[in-house]
Amino acid sequence: MASERSSPDALSPDALAGRWHPPSSSRGVDAAMHVEAGGVAVVTDSGGHILAEATLVSVDISPRVGSIPRRLSFPNGSVFETGDNDGVDRALTPLRGRGAGFIHGLERFRPRLALFVVLVAILAVGTYRYAVPLLVEVAIAATPPVVPRLLSQSAMVSLDQTLLDESKLADAAREALDEGFAALAALTPRGADGYTLNFRDGGRVGPNAFALPDGNVVITDQLVRLMEDDREAVLGVLAHEIGHVEREHSLRQLYRAAGVTGLVLLIGGDIGGGVEDVLIQGAALASLSYSRSQEAEADRFSVELMHKAGRDPAALARFFEKLRDDFSDTAESDFLSSHPATPQRIEETRRYAEELAASAAR
Amino acid sequence: MTTDADAPHEAAPPLEMRRHPFEFHGTAREYFGIWIVNVLLTILTVGIYSAWAKVRRLRYFHGNTRLAGSSFDYHARPVQILAGRIIVLAILIVYNLSAYFLPQIVSGIIGIAFLFAIPWFVARGLRFRARVTSYRNVRFDFTGGYGGAFLSYLLGSMLTWGTLGLLAPIGSQWIWNYTLGNLRYGDRPIRCDPRLEKLYGQLVMPAAVFLGGLVAIVGIGVIAFVAALGTSLDVESYLPSDFAVIGILAAIYAAMLPFFLLYVLVGLLYGAGARNVALNETVIDGRHILASTIGRWRFAWIAISNFFATLFTLGLLRPWAAVRMARYLAGATALYSAGPLDDYLSTVKDSEGVVGSEFMDIEGFDFGF
Repeated sequence: MASERSSPDALSPDALAGRWHPPSSSRGVDAAMHVEAGGVAVVTDSGGHILAEATLVSVDISPRVGSIPRRLSFPNGSVFETGDNDGVDRALTPLRGRGAGFIHGLERFRPRLALFVVLVAILAVGTYRYAVPLLVEVAIAATPPVVPRLLSQSAMVSLDQTLLDESKLADAAREALDEGFAALAALTPRGADGYTLNFRDGGRVGPNAFALPDGNVVITDQLVRLMEDDREAVLGVLAHEIGHVEREHSLRQLYRAAGVTGLVLLIGGDIGGGVEDVLIQGAALASLSYSRSQEAEADRFSVELMHKAGRDPAALARFFEKLRDDFSDTAESDFLSSHPATPQRIEETRRYAEELAASAAR
Repeated sequence: MTTDADAPHEAAPPLEMRRHPFEFHGTAREYFGIWIVNVLLTILTVGIYSAWAKVRRLRYFHGNTRLAGSSFDYHARPVQILAGRIIVLAILIVYNLSAYFLPQIVSGIIGIAFLFAIPWFVARGLRFRARVTSYRNVRFDFTGGYGGAFLSYLLGSMLTWGTLGLLAPIGSQWIWNYTLGNLRYGDRPIRCDPRLEKLYGQLVMPAAVFLGGLVAIVGIGVIAFVAALGTSLDVESYLPSDFAVIGILAAIYAAMLPFFLLYVLVGLLYGAGARNVALNETVIDGRHILASTIGRWRFAWIAISNFFATLFTLGLLRPWAAVRMARYLAGATALYSAGPLDDYLSTVKDSEGVVGSEFMDIEGFDFGF
């Protein structure tokens, strides 16, 4: 690829050897380029004939990446290509101060790259631990109230169409729970108006309760019947759901998943498809752990709210005990679950309730 | 090991054809610096630098791929890529949110509309990629349209999946014919007509590996199950609980892993064979012929060991892995030229359609060329 430097001009020490292409053509000739006084770049062929000529400022020079050939596009559309990266940088130095560019300077193989590795590790952990939660908070603050409303309405419609049916509970049972629920909701910042309790036949869902982000709380007939002789425990469950709404858990979970996936996607090209898939799977596992911490937070919220309402703060624990006894729900491991293990929740709820009662007694 | 993969030409190239091997000149050492700075600045800028990172990465790989003494080049501007990424991320967010916010029927319609939009993204993306790629100062171009992308990407993948790979050769025939056969170098066409029987020929060995692997995995599974029963594992006590479901899910997950690895291996073996067939039947400008001589097992080994090396070093060996694969693929590819490569003219001035290209990048479509 090295060309003969037979032309007198090209003999100057700053001459760069390379190949010259006419505009838009694959035809190439061995050529040399040098920069004359006044910053004029001149490309000549081996016979010394001028092929292209322009002030260096008007030449479009591709940034240096590793040691791939540099492309110098002249205003007339012709291109001079050279592997002599250092030569190009030398020619550019009087013009730009630093020919190779800042980024290339960072990329050179030097001991400091080890520092970059450490920085990347710290930043990756830091982004995950601090920047993502921060971004989630910003997104939550920026979310207009219509968003959770729309989200909830569509979720409610979908659930009613697929899983849930009209409640078959007696009116008396409903009214009693409604009353207790309103009393609990009145003690929260959103107030009683911010919440609606909905009764549904759970069908396949079984005994369950869940909260939609706009304050609609759904409880299944099966759960009410399961705890028929312990209305206080049902209120404990409802307080737990109020906790989810109050702490905006659904939106947090949604934004967090979107944020983490987005970051993985953006870095995907640099880590390869296989590892990218592993990271996305890992993020899904990590979001389960996040969900467990939200459940624990809602459990504590229930204890606090029940305590505030002058009810039994440990009522929720009795519901878990019922689950444990009736459904032999005793597994200790929760690694693959969105909820903490039930025995652990019972213990933690009881412990926190006692702690609250003790501090209140003091 | 490689004999089966090297599908010989219909007729041996005429003697006056010159063989030019592709060469890859990048090094893991040099790419490491580019890579770590890419990752560092991408994290520091919360993803914005990823557009610049992509351009530097692709320029490094194109610029180090040489053929007959000249290298390829990649011309996309980072700002173009950034704009494309922002638009694609916005589309994906709106699409995903619609599943939450809108009634099922509406979001279902949007989902179907989105599915039908994919071929458009693919066609635009392939055109963008072709147009920002050059060799010897001449840009590539891509003339494939919506219909071809619909056939090769949507119907082709349905055909492949729906028949457990039995009709995969038809899918790969469509896809190679579409992606390579619609490519142009300057103003000259490139033809790619991989023949179906040759593609089927590449399916035999992977299919045998698949069946053999299936028997082995199931056999080992049965033995393990019997052994587990032998240690009197109280299976019944798990059944009524909610958490039993999760335990069973975990077990299924673990049990699926060997099947998944087998599927990946078979996919790599077949994909390498199909690439050989397709490139060997690719003619540029009616006279230059491509040749691909990938060893299927060697290729699968490189891909799988690259993945685990990257994973177990928390990404640190990724530059080495990427360079290793690029070097192997280049070394197994050649061009037989009949006459000079001098008289080509670039017809593409500038590029558009970056949205499609970024969609493919973010959604993970992959191309062999």
